[in-house]
Amino acid sequence: MKLDDLGQGALAVIAGITGGRGVLARMASLGLYAGKKIRVVQTAPFKGPILVEDVATGARTMIGRKIAAHVEIRNEEPR
Amino acid sequence: MSRSATKSPGDELVIALAGQPNCGKSTLFNAVAGFKVNTGNFSGTTVAYTETRVFFEGRTVKLIDLPGTYSISAHDIAEKVARDYLLSGSVDVIINVLDSSTLARSLELTIQLMEMDVPMVIALNMFDEAQKKGIAIDAAKLASLTGVEACPLVAAQGSGVHELFRAAFKVSREAYRYRKPVYDKDVEECIARIASRYPQSLGELARVNERFVIIRLLEMDPEFEALAQEADPAFLQFVRENRRFLAEVHAWPETGVFASHRHAMVMDLFEDVAVVKSRAKLSFGEAVDSFIINPAGGLIAFAALIFLMFSTSFWLGDLLSGLLEGPLDLVGRQLPGLLSGNVLILAAGLWDGVTAGLGIVLPFLVPLLTLMSLLEDTGLLPRIAFMMDGLLHRFGLHGKSVVPLILGYGCNVPAIMAARNLEYERDRIITLLVVPFISCSARTVIIMALAGKYLGAGYATLIYLGNIAVALAMSFLLSRFNVETSPGIIMDVPPLRRPYAGIVLRKVWAMTYEFLAFAWPVIAISSIVLAVMAHAGVDAYVNAALSPVTAFVLDLPENLGITLFLGIFRKELTLIMLESALGTANVASVLSPVQLLVLVVFTVLYIPCIATISTLWKEGGWKVAAASVALNTAVALVVAGTIAHVL
Repeated sequence: MKLDDLGQGALAVIAGITGGRGVLARMASLGLYAGKKIRVVQTAPFKGPILVEDVATGARTMIGRKIAAHVEIRNEEPR
Repeated sequence: MSRSATKSPGDELVIALAGQPNCGKSTLFNAVAGFKVNTGNFSGTTVAYTETRVFFEGRTVKLIDLPGTYSISAHDIAEKVARDYLLSGSVDVIINVLDSSTLARSLELTIQLMEMDVPMVIALNMFDEAQKKGIAIDAAKLASLTGVEACPLVAAQGSGVHELFRAAFKVSREAYRYRKPVYDKDVEECIARIASRYPQSLGELARVNERFVIIRLLEMDPEFEALAQEADPAFLQFVRENRRFLAEVHAWPETGVFASHRHAMVMDLFEDVAVVKSRAKLSFGEAVDSFIINPAGGLIAFAALIFLMFSTSFWLGDLLSGLLEGPLDLVGRQLPGLLSGNVLILAAGLWDGVTAGLGIVLPFLVPLLTLMSLLEDTGLLPRIAFMMDGLLHRFGLHGKSVVPLILGYGCNVPAIMAARNLEYERDRIITLLVVPFISCSARTVIIMALAGKYLGAGYATLIYLGNIAVALAMSFLLSRFNVETSPGIIMDVPPLRRPYAGIVLRKVWAMTYEFLAFAWPVIAISSIVLAVMAHAGVDAYVNAALSPVTAFVLDLPENLGITLFLGIFRKELTLIMLESALGTANVASVLSPVQLLVLVVFTVLYIPCIATISTLWKEGGWKVAAASVALNTAVALVVAGTIAHVL
């Protein structure tokens, strides 16, 4: 399952990110890499970006939908 | 590396402020140095470093405000600027500025900075905000666990700043005890294995401590990999094998294995030093945030904001301008009675320029700048970027361009510099070429003072909206020339913050001062020059030379040629010189409504001002600057010419 399949409020764990080195590096520097637990806060209109929150730190990042399609996730049931 | 322990108290101390984007480095810098650098609540307000010398707590300090970086991996220009500076060996103390309200994330950089082995102090900035969010941080425990002094402070209010700098001075004087962050056993063993084969030649090339280089190599840092390749390819191969081994043991991808270890270390540290109390109630900022992050709420907020921006600068500017007009006019009318001959010509020219700056430009400029400052400081810009990203994709741009585009409404110069944040050349070039179409505050003043005054608010709004349409159309057309698509946006969204009146006022004053000190004299001198030229009849030559454009294409009076020409230096000059060029204060008595419309539209769109052109040259090269001049001129001629001949 990919990040862009998730709906609002969904909790998930990043399983892996495919794509170029630049994208990987930028995600990593914002604290998004395999093993990170994230929550989808909001999806933007007009096929806009997805706002994700790092559950551990509360830091929020928007990720364009095209990039989100490269983020493999494992679903996690909301507790 | 240079060590500062030997410096005597009389020597200048070099202190660098390093931290993640948006943690308040520039606010701290300004708190110490007076207003020198711009601040804002979004990543990357500082794109290059700024330095200043200050005398603080009895010592001379060279203070450097580095661009914010999440890591020291040197993935983008800002990270590279910061890392190169810190590794240059010229820094005596690093002040690592942290946003306490996002402590867990902030500590990731702290660990990396500690690995550089440069004397360091931790500044726990926005300590009040962390408390409000229910995060209790034990600064003493953080200091004892990391071996780095940690000082709580609120830079925006100036509290804790003196204590922080005293701690920094102390670290620089006393021998700094480097406490390296220790990773788990597997990683440490891996580092030790690599260290045993560390080639001396690499040490000479890298000129930084061995452990730091090894960690950078384990993180696949391209710059250090290149150095290792140059020094000893077999060694690099050995590092790669170890890295692969580490990744396999932990079943983590090779690219992220080290980051994951560091992250685990950071989370342990965070849990040791901070207690997070869960709150039942959202803070005001969070409540507002959850409203505007929704599509409907965001749209309402965005529309309200645009309306507020426009109406404030229009109504308030008009009101203030009206209040000043009477008294200034009264003084001006006394001049012919007091002076005569050539002196009167000079004095009248000077007075025209002086009053124009004071009575026409300032009343519109100050409200607009205040609003722009508020917009920057609250953190609304990244939220607008989030909302507009999808829409902007249809015009060939993406949300990250929103920041430069909106900053452009204040002044194109910082907007063009902000385009550095765009990672992809294609996005950057398009943004660089679109920004000069954005009606900056100077041009907004022209719209308000000419279209608003003589044609009504409806026309002013129409011109403003038309300007946005032109900018979007340009972006659409430019993106057709470059069909490769950009991967899209990855951008952090900082928490909403309340703006501090003191900081906003200082910022507005800094920009107003810029106008008073640099633009105003230019306006006054140009006004004198114009008066003398008119007296000597020289302006007729300039007007005649430009008449094909003014008279034929734009259908305007020929004597406006010189005012349009002057606008290239400062856009306000066109407005200010208009009255003297036409020889009347009532512009509407000479120009028809269509001519006024043409004049305003042309002025808003044609050649960007000199400051913008030179910044474009610096940021994008001469080709981009030339393309921008050509593009703006062509579009201005076509749009304004069409209005002139069709209406």
